[in-house]
This record gives sequence, C-alpha cells and structure tokens, in this order.
Amino acid sequence: MAMRDARREPPDRDRQPGATDSQHGQQVEAERDRNATLPAERDRAPERIQMASDQPSHPEGALQAASPSDVAEPIVVENTLWTAASPNAYGGNQPASITHLRELDVEDKSDNARWSGALEIIPTKADYVLDLIRANSLWPLLSGLACCAIEMMSAATSRNDMDRFGMFPFRASPRQADVLIVAGTLTTKMAGPLVRLWEQMPEPKWCVAMGDCTCSGGRYKRSYAVVEGIDRIMPVDVYVPGCPPRPEGLIYGMLKLQQLIIERRGHWPDRQVGPSVPAGV
Amino acid sequence: MTADATRIRSLDDPTLFVDTPATIYDAVPPYPPRSEREAEFYHLRDGELLINLGPQHPSTHGVLRVVLKIDGERVVDLDPVLGYLHRGVEKICENGDWHHAISNCDPLEYVASMFSEAMPVLACEKLLDLEVPRRAEYIRVLAWELNRIASHALFVGWLALDLGGLTPILYSFIERDEIVEMLAALTGQRLLFNYLRIGGVNGDLNHEFMSRLGDWMSHAAEQLDNNQKLLNENEIFVRRTKGLGTLDRETALRLCMTGPPLRATGIPYDVRRAHPYSVYPELEFRIPTREEGDSYARYQLHLDEARESIHIIDQVLHQMPDGPVMAQIPRLIRPRPGRAWIAIESPRGQYGCFAISDGSDQPFRLRIRDPSYFNLQAVGVLTPGNLIADTMAIMASLDPIMGGIDK
Ligand code: SF4
Repeated sequence: MAMRDARREPPDRDRQPGATDSQHGQQVEAERDRNATLPAERDRAPERIQMASDQPSHPEGALQAASPSDVAEPIVVENTLWTAASPNAYGGNQPASITHLRELDVEDKSDNARWSGALEIIPTKADYVLDLIRANSLWPLLSGLACCAIEMMSAATSRNDMDRFGMFPFRASPRQADVLIVAGTLTTKMAGPLVRLWEQMPEPKWCVAMGDCTCSGGRYKRSYAVVEGIDRIMPVDVYVPGCPPRPEGLIYGMLKLQQLIIERRGHWPDRQVGPSVPAGV
Repeated sequence: MTADATRIRSLDDPTLFVDTPATIYDAVPPYPPRSEREAEFYHLRDGELLINLGPQHPSTHGVLRVVLKIDGERVVDLDPVLGYLHRGVEKICENGDWHHAISNCDPLEYVASMFSEAMPVLACEKLLDLEVPRRAEYIRVLAWELNRIASHALFVGWLALDLGGLTPILYSFIERDEIVEMLAALTGQRLLFNYLRIGGVNGDLNHEFMSRLGDWMSHAAEQLDNNQKLLNENEIFVRRTKGLGTLDRETALRLCMTGPPLRATGIPYDVRRAHPYSVYPELEFRIPTREEGDSYARYQLHLDEARESIHIIDQVLHQMPDGPVMAQIPRLIRPRPGRAWIAIESPRGQYGCFAISDGSDQPFRLRIRDPSYFNLQAVGVLTPGNLIADTMAIMASLDPIMGGIDK
C-alpha cells in the first residue's frame, strides 16, 4: 500500500536537473528523450518551464554533485521473463521504458492495483507474492442487508470462525475493506447506496454475492421492489447460493475467492457488469 | 449528488439500469418540504448539522437510515428514513396460495422466523376453525421458545457490540448457533425454518434434535449465567446503559410499544398471558418486568425472559403428549370468506396478522403487524438530547429488525 501513496505524491523529477549543473541536466534530458516512447512525454520534455519553485532553494553549489557520473541513472531491466496472458493486464502493456512513477500520470487514472508500469521492470514475480498476501488477508466489509447477514455474522464468530482462513474481522468502513459480501435482499432503494459503497472501496476489491436474493433475486424475484441479482449493478466474483447459505457455504465461497485471486493474476480489470444468470431463470 | 441521480446504469451495458429514488444521497431532500414537521426539521439553526446514520452502518441492524440533526456531539432531532428493505412481502403473499405465504413470511423477522412464519398459519387456522393436534401445539411452543432464546442471545451480543465490546457477541453466537443447529436438525434450515404448517408442523421430533436439545438443556442455564456475568459486572457497560433512554409508561403506551421495551417500564403485558393462544394456558411461567425503563432494564429483561423460556421448555418436554403432528386437512385450502386477527408474543413484542379471505385458495390480504416498527418509534422520543454514541445504545436496546419494519 506504500506504493500507492508514493504514486499519489510523485517526487518532482523535473526539479532534480535544475539542482545539478546544466550540462548534466541536458544529458539526462537527452537520455530520457531516447527512452521516451509516450508522445505526451516527448512533447513536454523540450520546453521545461522554469518556475520560481523550480529554482534551488539552497545556495548555489551546496548540494551539487561532484561530477556527472556521481548521479546514478535508474537501472532499467526489461521484463523478458514472462508476459501477461491478457493484453490489458498490468496497466495495458505499458512500455517498460517508463522509469519513474511520475510518468504514470500520463496514463488514465483507472487503478488496476497492479505493480504496473514502472515496477513491472522488477524481474521477480512480485505479483505472485502480492496476490498471495492479498488472498490471505481479506478484509470484508461489515455490511448486511437482510437475513443473510445473520449467517454472515455467524460465519465470522466463534463456531465457524472465518479468521482461521485469513479473512480478517469485519471492517465497518468501506475505505478499509477489500471484499464486499453482499448479504441480503437488494432493493431498488438500497441499490444506490450499495453502488456507492462499492465505489468507495479502494482497489483491489472483490465482491461476493451471498444468498439467492443477491445472485438472482431469489424468492423475491417477482417483487416490484427488488433488484434481480446484484450483478446488474456491480461486478461479482463469487456467487454463494442458498437461502440463506450455511456459514460453511460462505466460508467455502471465500476460499474460492482466495483461489481466484491467486489464479486470476492481473485479469480482473476485465470483469463485466451484467447478469450472468440467463434471462428467464 | 444531484436530484437527477435517479438511475444507476451499468458501466458496460447501457441497457441495464436500476431506478432509485432521487433522494437517497441527500441529507436535505431536494423537494420542497411536504409537511410542517419536515420544514422544521430541515431548517438548520446556527451550529446545527445534518448527518446520515446508515443505511450502511453496523449498528442500525440492517439498512435503517436515520438523519441526525446534531449540535456538537448532541443529537437535537432525528428523522428516520425507512424502506431500504421493502421487499413487498405482503403483496407477494397475495399472489401465492396459503401454503406459499408461510415461506414468504419467513424472512420478515429473520432473527426469529419461527414467529413470523406463524402468521399465515394461525390466521388460516382461525379462518378454517381448525383443531390442531395437541402434540403439534406442544412442538410449536417448543420451537418458539427455543427461537426466543436464540433471538435474545443475539440481542445481548448486539447491544454490547454497538457499545464497542466485541467479546459478548462471540459468546452470544455460541449459544445462538447451538440452538439453530438444533432447530436445523428438526426443520432442515438454520434461519428461515419454514416448519409450521397449516394444521400442524412439518415432521415430528427426531432423535438428533432430542439428543442435541438434551445436551443443551443440561448447560443452558449455566451458559446464560456466564454470559450475564460478562456484562452485568462490567462497569463500562453498566455506566453506559443505566439511566440511558428512559422510557415512561405513558409514552410507551402512546407509541403502541409491546414486548420487552414495554415490560421494562413496568407494564406486564404479554400476549401469552393477556390473550392466551396455543397451549400457553397449560404452562406455568412468569412475566418478568422492570420498573426503570432504561436501556439497562431492557437488557436485564431479555435475560430474565430467556430464563423463563428455559423453564417453559422444561415443562413442555415433560408434558409432551403423543399423537399425530398434522391435522387431516385437504391439500387445497379454501377458508371461508371473512377476516381474522391473530397475535402472538414474539421476542420483540406482539406479532399480529390481520387476514382477509375471499373464499379462494389465496389470501386476499395479509397485513402483518410487526412489533419492531412500533418499538423503533421510541428512538425519536429517547434520542434527542443524548450523545451520538448513545443513539446506538438506545437503538440496540430497542432491538429493531428491519426485515419486519420495511416488510
Ligand atoms: S437469500 Fe434468503 S436468507 Fe438471504 S436475504 Fe434473501 S431471503 Fe433472506
């Protein structure tokens, strides 16, 4: 998660050359020009505006590098070891020449919560490790809509004790949670707040539909007030049918979710919203 | 969000959408006030602020939304917004026949669904003038009282959880899970039992249920005492609930409150005694009451009632007669045209049903009277003047279940 903080406040790259001597600045600039493949970046590079804030605040020469060779260039190691199965995975095949988090700003803001772009150059299978960590510390959101919520609580307490499998105690705030267990009947009045909850959760996030009501409308399918399945308004990763499912059923679903997180590396930005239950069922 | 945010559209398929009322996001409704009360509520004086409690909030026990008007930490006024769980149960019941109504009424009171599923059953039996076998009546009472204990156990856990203590709910769920597993052996379901039938019950007592029940009965009272010790001697709990949300008798009666909140004010109204039904007249039990009417009294009362229920179960097991568990009734039920009102004592109060039959095999109208709805009204009386954090303690001690309130 420290990664994302860094991304939000990227260290100011352009300020660095100003602090060193101008010759080296140009050298860095030329180097980057060669590497840069993104058009936006190339256009921006030649005419750097020297704002007041770009000037060094310390006296001339105080922090200068002794010689140009003292300033280390970032080491670029291309990822030649493996490729993602989906072309859209890991930031949509960003060129591996991006060397700084700042340069990620030119891509669109959608966050697929991968170590994409710059960090793809790390020639380890960091994603495996990350997914393993994520899968084994799921933090579900404490949000019950109806009857199924009682069984969800039962799954989390003494008798069934979901904590055993690395699903942490329920969080009350969507901003701290990464699994939304929708437990209970979703009515049209509640649909708006539920989508809002889902959007408030930070990526990466997963959704578990618990109970017949959330899978397809269940026993209230023909009611005038009920959404026939939450997959009409949000993507769903795991369906746990039953009215209500037993707590063991929910735990089984969560174990499946863990498996899915580990196996579906990088694919889950492709999730679709829309009914996966055939019409007329 | 603006007033025109009425439609939630799927990101990928523009043909998919869900209509929602315009006001869901707004603390202040975008429309002109509809009543004097609303105009007064949404007129903010200096320093006042509106905040939303819910619909997703761990202590609203479901999807209740309460708009709180606060001044600093104090609640000045509040406006509950219901309907987030309105599933149209009563309408669905009219579209199926009388047997379907049983399972459709199940999710109303989902913590104690043995009571809500009794509504169409008892109403239909009254319309049919049906004599239910005595063994079936005893089994019903047994199931009801077991479910009452499970529900009261959850109440204690939730109350402590809403006050910030996690431990009691772990113990509550041990007790509750033992009971629902027992009922699952009897009925096949843990939560929505669908066990009562018009004219009896679905299936006789079986061996697994009886052995589980015997195990549980041997330590039930002791378990209850242990759970009670956890909170009764907890100074934080006592100081946060004693004297909080004190309800007086007149207000409670004026709001049509029933069940533990009413009995905690000292009025011994219990449907089991006041309007006896089933085999309760043959059983011996007391109606526990408390005088204080505050949150702590309501908590104590729940424990007393659970203890009485164990006593009732004990008697039921000793007096259980032999015989059939289903009356001889035709498969297609056509009650006489007419109206019937029945009421039973659920863990939350008087659970009633007003049924109209037009002589066909479908109920013409089932109107469910859910006690949580009436008990919840007290929040409006008790909360103003208290701290925001105490709102949770008051709300939890009234024990509302949104399934029945919104239907
Ligand atoms: S699936 Fe059944 S138990 Fe779950 S919310 Fe729907 S009606 Fe209630």
